[in-house]
Amino acid sequence: MTDYVDAGEAIPHSQLSAVKGIAPATTNVDYERIRAATSEPQNWLTYYGTYDGKRYSTLDQINKETVRRLSPAWVFQAGATGMQSGASTYSFEASPLVVEGVMYVSGPDGKAWAIDATTGEELWRYKHASPYDVSLCCGNVNRGLAVGHGKVYMYTLNAHIIALDATTGEKVWDITNGDVRAGESGSVAPLVVKDLVIVGSAGGEFGVRGHLDAFDAHTGERRWRCYTVPKPGEPGSETWPDDGEAWQRGGANCWVTPTYDPELELLYQGTGNPAPDFDGAVRPGDNLYTDSVVAVDVNTGEIRWHYQFTPHDLWDYDSTMENLLFDAPDGRKLLAHADKNGYFFVLDRTNGELVRVFPFVDRITWGEITPEGKVTPKIYPDEEGVPVHFWPGPAGGKEWTHMSYNPHTGLIYVPVQEVGATATRRRREFKESIPYWGAGVAVDIEDFYGFVAAIDPLTGEEKWRWNNEYPMCASTLTTAGGLVFQGTPTGEFVALDADTGEKLWSFQCGSGHHSSPTPFSVNGRQYIAVPTGWGGWIEGFLPGLLGAAAGDALFCFALPED
Amino acid sequence: MTTTEDRSAELAAAGLDGQNRTALGRLLNTGSIGYAEEGTDGVLRATIRIPEDELRYEPSILIFPRGGDIELTLLNDDKNTHCAVLPSNGDPKFLWLVNHAKGIARLNLDGPGTYYYGSQSGNDEGRGLTGALVISGEVPDHAKLDRPPQPRP
Repeated sequence: MTDYVDAGEAIPHSQLSAVKGIAPATTNVDYERIRAATSEPQNWLTYYGTYDGKRYSTLDQINKETVRRLSPAWVFQAGATGMQSGASTYSFEASPLVVEGVMYVSGPDGKAWAIDATTGEELWRYKHASPYDVSLCCGNVNRGLAVGHGKVYMYTLNAHIIALDATTGEKVWDITNGDVRAGESGSVAPLVVKDLVIVGSAGGEFGVRGHLDAFDAHTGERRWRCYTVPKPGEPGSETWPDDGEAWQRGGANCWVTPTYDPELELLYQGTGNPAPDFDGAVRPGDNLYTDSVVAVDVNTGEIRWHYQFTPHDLWDYDSTMENLLFDAPDGRKLLAHADKNGYFFVLDRTNGELVRVFPFVDRITWGEITPEGKVTPKIYPDEEGVPVHFWPGPAGGKEWTHMSYNPHTGLIYVPVQEVGATATRRRREFKESIPYWGAGVAVDIEDFYGFVAAIDPLTGEEKWRWNNEYPMCASTLTTAGGLVFQGTPTGEFVALDADTGEKLWSFQCGSGHHSSPTPFSVNGRQYIAVPTGWGGWIEGFLPGLLGAAAGDALFCFALPED
Repeated sequence: MTTTEDRSAELAAAGLDGQNRTALGRLLNTGSIGYAEEGTDGVLRATIRIPEDELRYEPSILIFPRGGDIELTLLNDDKNTHCAVLPSNGDPKFLWLVNHAKGIARLNLDGPGTYYYGSQSGNDEGRGLTGALVISGEVPDHAKLDRPPQPRP
């Protein structure tokens, strides 16, 4: 019998690192503070910066004159240990949050960090153990965290909504909110509204039934669930076959964070495509509330109104992307949405009435939408085994990455993807956890380009565009410094003149951008942070760069101190 | 003969279940399958060994009836130093395992799903020293979709 050496007890991996394990206590982030987030531009308190989704900062130290001196202040490397779920498709997609000099950011594979926003020093880390085999349609990604009530909230790959102590990163509560055996997962950045944490589900490609959920921010108790595919008898169910099973597998997932109007108390949630994506014959009807914006009462979870951008979708045109809230000069409360289908919609956000619709991409062949909103499909997968090519491809004219609105120029800056695809209908039986597309799809790998479009949402006019050889697959950010920041798929982080589109500065980050940059300031010094790390669902939005350099670094830029 | 026995025999015949036969190392998870036991305290327990000159965890696939708190006893019977970096909610757990060492790892994992771990030493992982912790079972009822039962593969 061997006398074993006592190896003791396994220790946390971070104990073998320089991580401090604690972050400075920041003052409490509550609802009133997030609602008034524009009054503290030094911080970035919520996913879009503000509830309205403008992704606009009033900071102006970095401006048209000074931006040429912008340099890296620090770099944080996410890294990986061991085998991670979705290893082939990970991407660093998060939008960092900043509260009083502490940055909270999430990465692939269930990781979250608190970082000193001025030095890049790791203060604490949390890693949610992610099953290696969890069903992920579109990569091992997480779009960010929410902060509030002394906690940091994250939605995990295996569909747990968890709350961490903001000063230590230790778990406070943990609720299972999705069925991984059914193909559900979590990737969205939560939204704190009042004492609620709002999250939407992912997994539409596996034929789940989409939903938006609200939890008590203090205890994790679920307050309400809003299904985005109605059961028989519920409003909207008449748009699904009443003698079939299609509604049970309808999709309409809510995998991008909603915007919110505190006066109307409405959440504006974009919903995903119907399932199966390309085989409409098994789900005749408009298929509400897929490909829609639904205005959800934040107090009850009830849908107050909806607008469907692509009825009976046959092209995988999710409408999960953001609904940017702005007001017209006459005070009318509006909502702007650039859809995958290539059309830009402006709605009255009080009732969903269409104000205007116009194309924002060059090539649209799938169908046509008239200025009055009438939708006419033209090209779609119909016959079994017959290839059909259409523009935009399933990643759309714009995918989940976000546009931004600058109140000084009155322009919305849209990252545009010009890439088509060929879909060949291949019907299949539904089985839980198996991709449910109803077609084979190949996105074009040679014929593509992209641009940032500066659009006047009051007229539909494109004021300028900044052209790029490759489609734009990252969020824009605009500032009072008269700038638009945009990351490119080839790694450049670019600053454009918000008035003209002229490129004023760029920095090569070494890996493509598929995330959302964040502005903030500490002790009077302005910074711009941006996660880089090419990956995610590249085969859908830009397979021509599937072989590009991957990475997982968070860059933070500032002007030289002297 | 079961399918598993067929696979083991096939791997052995092909020289893929050990080191430096057909390949340099052994293929991932070509070892045996084991099952954890639940204690009266609700903790799921199992013992894992690293046999001499085999560069594998034994069992290399460990199946749990559900997620929760886990206590693994790890024994290194090899005449080389290894370790284990094991998944756990909050932070992975690290255990050095010098020659003929014995240690404990306390983990917390959700279910269902497969969690891999390995020895972060040299190229132990590349040569075959990886293991899988497989959490079986279902998510809680409150996390399931409101719809009739659906077909599975």
